[in-house]
Amino acid sequence: MYEPNGCFLRAVFVTVLSVGLLPLLRAQSPQLPPGAIEPKVSAACTECHESRIISQQRLTKAAWGKEVDKMIKWGAVVDSGDRDAFVEYLSTNFPSDKAPEVMPRALAAKKH
Amino acid sequence: MAAAAFPPLLASAGEQSEVYIPGEAGMIVRSAGFFDLEMPPEFFDSWITPTPHFFVRNHMHEPTTLDRETWRLSVSGEVEKPLHLNLADLEKFQTRTVTNTLECAGNGRGLYQPHVPGVQWQKGAVGTARFSGPRLRDILQRAGLTVSGKHVMFQGLDEVPGKVPPFLRSIPIEKAMDGDTLVATHMNGSALEKHHGFPARALVPGWIGAASCKWLSEIKVLDKEFDGNFMKPGYRMPNHPLKPGEPLNVDDSHVITSLNVKSVIASPTDGSILDSRTFKVRGAAWAGEAEIVKVEISSDGGTSWQAARLHRDEAKYAWRLWSHQVKVPEAGEYTIRARAVDSQGRAQPQEPEWNPSGYLYNAIDQVTIHVRA
Repeated sequence: MYEPNGCFLRAVFVTVLSVGLLPLLRAQSPQLPPGAIEPKVSAACTECHESRIISQQRLTKAAWGKEVDKMIKWGAVVDSGDRDAFVEYLSTNFPSDKAPEVMPRALAAKKH
Repeated sequence: MAAAAFPPLLASAGEQSEVYIPGEAGMIVRSAGFFDLEMPPEFFDSWITPTPHFFVRNHMHEPTTLDRETWRLSVSGEVEKPLHLNLADLEKFQTRTVTNTLECAGNGRGLYQPHVPGVQWQKGAVGTARFSGPRLRDILQRAGLTVSGKHVMFQGLDEVPGKVPPFLRSIPIEKAMDGDTLVATHMNGSALEKHHGFPARALVPGWIGAASCKWLSEIKVLDKEFDGNFMKPGYRMPNHPLKPGEPLNVDDSHVITSLNVKSVIASPTDGSILDSRTFKVRGAAWAGEAEIVKVEISSDGGTSWQAARLHRDEAKYAWRLWSHQVKVPEAGEYTIRARAVDSQGRAQPQEPEWNPSGYLYNAIDQVTIHVRA
């Protein structure tokens, strides 16, 4: 009879833990600012990125356009009719003249 | 034993500034998706950076599972005898330890004007560690490197999302055959942590971090430089200076290899309020494959400069810590600046060499402080 070894069990445990936490991580990643297109932006961008990688950018509208086009080329799912609305949303909320975002510090464990 | 793949526990709504990452307390979280963790200035106080304080830069998802029993490293391409090595095979090679300052090419990107896209690193995508493992040269020689081998490409096990090109890059055969270029299995005396490339990573000393591929699984010897996305157009600098905001002409650019000369002020931190007119300025300086020969400090905004004391600890590819006692004449606001010069005669510039990806930022560092005594 097949008996799973320790490595296999650890791999299963880690996989289940990782996959199980992914929806939690996605749900608890900071929300992007509200806007009509925000649900689509969040869905497209946070498929790969955590929202902080977006919110820390400070770019002109032209630079945001290049970024959106690059991400579409690299697999981001964006309806062709939404491309300009994405750029408008991102350049309005994360413009080049906005103050830098203050990033959080990692904590070792949740406080009780 | 498998290296655990525990993701971070992010805070719930209303506590959005808190991120829980076991073993990484205090690090600045630039991304908890693909991990991008920056060392804060207060952790520049050690010549060897403790592993929990060492920056993490991931372009893709970390491998979901890694197992030292099943992991294999293939060596192929322009060799006579392709190899498939396991960790026990690597341990049979002679071990070399190299103390190296590893810096992300994009460290300081967040300081460029105009802003450029990418992880907005400030000072701390850099750290110094002792890396140990077999020489890459010995592995290539075991495989029977042929004279047609001109470049060595590394591939890791990171998981590529969507249609993103895999993170493949190559280094010239001369650097690959340098006796200090390693397949590192250990960092600071312990097996590599997962965030740092367990079970093995390339270590290309003195060069940008992107050259030192993590979670190494394949070494392929090529007859020419690899030309994938992360070699071209990625990780290139202009051959001629660009005006800020000017685009890069890829055909008039070169691949980034070695780090440039740089120093950063670790303390006092920008915006500090000091209660004494006498205080110590501390920091670190590094120069890739060159040596730091001088660090100078100015407390009057750059009008006059005094030599800082270089601390004793040094190694070929490692940063030098430095310090300097400053005494200001009266209470008020002061701009403290630091600039380094290396053994190749390179000095930190007043302005960084602008490029649209924000690589190799090394402008003279400065902090503004307020003395109220």
